Amino acid sequence: MENVATHEDWKVCFSQLAPGLVLFARQWVRSRADAEDVVQDAFVRFWRRNHRIDNRALLYSAVRSAALDLIRRDQRRSRREIEVFADADRSVQPEFEPGDDSQRELATAVDHLPRDQREVLVMKVWNDLTFAEIAETLGISPNTAASRYRYALAALKKRLQPQ
Amino acid sequence: MNDFSELERELKKLQPVRPSATLMERIEQALADVNKIPSNLIAPKRFTINWVGLGLGVAAAAAFLILARVDFRPAAKTPSQVASAAPALPQSAAPLPNFVPAGVTRVVYNTRDEGLVFRGGHERPARRVRTAQRETLQWRDPQSGASLRVSYPTEEVTLIPVLGQ
Repeated sequence: MENVATHEDWKVCFSQLAPGLVLFARQWVRSRADAEDVVQDAFVRFWRRNHRIDNRALLYSAVRSAALDLIRRDQRRSRREIEVFADADRSVQPEFEPGDDSQRELATAVDHLPRDQREVLVMKVWNDLTFAEIAETLGISPNTAASRYRYALAALKKRLQPQ
Repeated sequence: MNDFSELERELKKLQPVRPSATLMERIEQALADVNKIPSNLIAPKRFTINWVGLGLGVAAAAAFLILARVDFRPAAKTPSQVASAAPALPQSAAPLPNFVPAGVTRVVYNTRDEGLVFRGGHERPARRVRTAQRETLQWRDPQSGASLRVSYPTEEVTLIPVLGQ
């Protein structure tokens, strides 16, 4: 676990990963500000532990863990809300840059995916993680990660099909 | 043929919202702060490790490593030799598992506000917050699928400067 990356490497690395990491953290927290706090906390903790800069599965695992910690610490939320991650009132703020109508429709469709499918999709499409890395992050098998990805795409395709 | 290739292209066109401009500055500041560890914000006794818990965890890990090196396969039957002129071949040990970090979790299970404290050399009081948590580190050998987990409780004491209005 020796870290040979320089301080500058970490800055470059973070600037490249930041949009995807914040999007990933948004799976669990309501606001962008909370997501950025989670990403900062996880990234600094990851850096402090001298993990290898290319161990992306561990970095995303740290973000996920930090997000769940934030939820636990927020005493205003009931246990039930923690369990369902407040799916209903997510996305008060947009997660994607505004685009044309079809892109907005696609973003809405992504937002309505079940959480387990959405998190795999986010890691795969916007963070370029392999199924092996996704599996490590979530503690599932690579086959399960691939299945969830396919289910997510199928659900999106079905939702976007003209009636 | 991938039926979803067009949909995947459309998804790639969606751009996640850029993080705020201050996030990069905050990260940079935090990385710089890690090196100097400000004494006015974090008490020297920042992480108090429960050595009993850590010791048990390390003992379990050591036991696992010892067991992982044991070859449980029955030894190949070799003809017994009464005497031999050839030197005995050295037996090679079982290869060490190639563990890579696979996960880290940090569960905060209690936070206690211990009130205001006055520190020597500081004009203003600080609020002392004690956080009990459990950290779990996990390693995994991708080749064999073996995993190793070490879990230990930690306690973090944070001094938050109180600013007067």
